[in-house]
Amino acid sequence: MNVAVVGGSGYVGGELVRLLLGHPEVTLTQVTSETMAGKPLSRVHPNLRRATNLAFVPRAELKPADATFLATPHGEAMAPTPGLLATGGTVFDLSADHRLRDPHAYPRYYRTEHPHPELLAEAVYGLPELHRDALRRARLVAVPGCIATATILALRPLAAAVGASGLRAVVDAKSGSSAGGHDSGPAGQHAERSGVMRAYAPAGHRHAAEIEQETGVATALSCHAVEAVRGVLATVHALDVEPPEERELWKLYRAAYGAEPFVRIVHDPDGIHREPEPKILAGTNFCDVGFAPDAEHRRTVLLGALDNLGKGAAGAAVQCLNVRHGFPETAGLGFLGLHPT
Amino acid sequence: MTECPECAASVESHDKVLGEVFPCTDCGTELEVQAVEPFAVQPAPKEAEDWGE
Repeated sequence: MNVAVVGGSGYVGGELVRLLLGHPEVTLTQVTSETMAGKPLSRVHPNLRRATNLAFVPRAELKPADATFLATPHGEAMAPTPGLLATGGTVFDLSADHRLRDPHAYPRYYRTEHPHPELLAEAVYGLPELHRDALRRARLVAVPGCIATATILALRPLAAAVGASGLRAVVDAKSGSSAGGHDSGPAGQHAERSGVMRAYAPAGHRHAAEIEQETGVATALSCHAVEAVRGVLATVHALDVEPPEERELWKLYRAAYGAEPFVRIVHDPDGIHREPEPKILAGTNFCDVGFAPDAEHRRTVLLGALDNLGKGAAGAAVQCLNVRHGFPETAGLGFLGLHPT
Repeated sequence: MTECPECAASVESHDKVLGEVFPCTDCGTELEVQAVEPFAVQPAPKEAEDWGE
């Protein structure tokens, strides 16, 4: 099948192109970029040298494809989506533009009215671990945010078991610099970023809306920039319920993820990699989750780690493509990561 | 077959012998065979750690 990428010059777009070029079931036909039109993909994605002869094209030259990926900034996928759907292909939106089912959430979290609220009811949130059956029939897939994915996958089994309404979550998330995108402005300058440990969103981060939508748990989210290029680590403090014993947590999480190809339970008794950590996940589509009961403080600590460009964006989009079009779910996503790195 | 006392994963006896130490395939806990028939395991003794991290 033919696939195209809209907005392919950013970090997410580059990761998506890398994965699609290695996918055994698809042919990448076009990659758009307004700023890089006419230039080879390798000009901004040097890891793709000799992997493809494609050059960026302007969006006006985009042709219909069986599947189109939108790797555009937030707010820029809303307008073109109806036209792309009208061509009959499936659309995978990696921006936030179709993640929230409530149209009123967009002015609050993204400072814009949604021009096509009817699509929010149709779009399927792109977490196969939660919505695999709906994804098989989807025309429009909303690929989740990276911090949201790490948090939701860590939190949801506990929330489902104890009841989301009685649970409260405080999330401390750390992100690598690539999560800020290719054009992150002064915050991405080396002088500002090197050695950073910065709370860039102590309250009010927009991924909290996705987390609450998908888990039903009232969630307070604080986000930090740390010294890494790729990676998200979400530490979820699940409060207000008695923590299950460790053995029960194992049962809960094994029941949720034991058959999942890309979610691994990590809670080892020994060694230096005892809990989930994003460093070893760079380039992979894994989300590692872990847990630790803290009965003394009536708290369950839950951990989610992933590559923000992998399971947090491009990898998740390819996994959704595989589910939607009946390919093996792991097709094109077999990289196990590097160690040491 | 029995269960891992730490994570409740199924643990197969196969040809394990009394006193054998092996890791649980799910949680990685080192388990010691306490009895062969019926098959029983316990977490193996280990040196205490204080990583101080």
